[in-house]
Amino acid sequence: MKEALMYKLITFLLLIAASHSYAHSPICDCYDNGDETISCEGGFSDGGSAAGIEIHIIDQSGKILIQGEMSEYSEYTFDKPAVDYWVQYLAGEGHTIEIDSRDIEY
Amino acid sequence: MRKTVNYFIASIIMVLSSTSHAHFQMLYTPDAALAKGQETSWALIFSHPFSNGYPMDMGEPEAFYVVHDRGEDIPNKTTDLKKHLEAVQWTNSDNESASAFVANLPKSITRSIGDYNFVLTPSPYYEAEEDKYIQQITKTVINVGGAPGAWDQPLGLPVEIVPLDKPYANWVGGVFRAVVLSNGKPVPHAEIEIEYLNHDPLLEKNTFDPVGKVTPPQDSFVTMSIRANAQGEVMIGLPKAGWWGICALDLDDGQLYNKKELSLDAVLWVRAYDM
Repeated sequence: MKEALMYKLITFLLLIAASHSYAHSPICDCYDNGDETISCEGGFSDGGSAAGIEIHIIDQSGKILIQGEMSEYSEYTFDKPAVDYWVQYLAGEGHTIEIDSRDIEY
Repeated sequence: MRKTVNYFIASIIMVLSSTSHAHFQMLYTPDAALAKGQETSWALIFSHPFSNGYPMDMGEPEAFYVVHDRGEDIPNKTTDLKKHLEAVQWTNSDNESASAFVANLPKSITRSIGDYNFVLTPSPYYEAEEDKYIQQITKTVINVGGAPGAWDQPLGLPVEIVPLDKPYANWVGGVFRAVVLSNGKPVPHAEIEIEYLNHDPLLEKNTFDPVGKVTPPQDSFVTMSIRANAQGEVMIGLPKAGWWGICALDLDDGQLYNKKELSLDAVLWVRAYDM
């Protein structure tokens, strides 16, 4: 009986820990380097690293043009596509940020 | 005889008013929480932020730079900003003016997301009334895009106020906390002065807005004097939107400048926003 209670308590604590990690909001912003490349920087509202977070560059039909991941310095640079595009910052379920290329400035 | 009495009264009033309104090194930019990277404009003025009092001459700053930090595992970057300084005459509404500096910084300096710790070490100011020098090492922290960096870390300045809350992300009605350090160590019961920036600097005119936002009941509300606690921690309320200056006084170890006493102070500016 005691053991069952202990398992419940551990499960409960793990759930709290897991939900806590999702409390941090993802952050991503991109800018035009002026040399036909675009740089995106990522992070989280607690200052956490975005290293390894997947980035998709998609066209208006949803087709992936370029894909990659945030570097150890939480940044990703790609060649500027010739068409309008969206940057998707895939920081987990419910934590995707999409940036319209028309909002990316020098 | 009557003239002499009037002069005497006038001089007493002048002394009282000069001691009741604190000198504050300002490192001003209109906004602290930027949605995206952009050009920023700055005014470096040595003045009395609440009362629109007389400005004081600034010599060429010893240092003016920014430390950019955008989070875990990313090295911070220091950029010297002295080349952007432009000497100006800054005037108050009584037409009193003093030398000050402005800086229009290109977007490239604040283009990335993260925290930007702006630091100003002014040259020491000679305060004739007290026959001593004052040097206020000043920090203003702004942020781009909401990604926090090392806003809560000391920058290794000889004296500094280190935030315990983000200085750029405060709602009106909240509180702001910080620790006063001298040579990296907390200063128990440090003497603190607080002033609200009651007259906004008008950057395009090199003057202060002659209209204040609030009227104090009396002088205790102009420069609010408090003490840090035994751990060197300070906590202030933020009842109104705008900039609040916190100054920790006399943090020096008996340093001299030009063979005179040097009061080494630390200033931190905090921005509050309406909900």
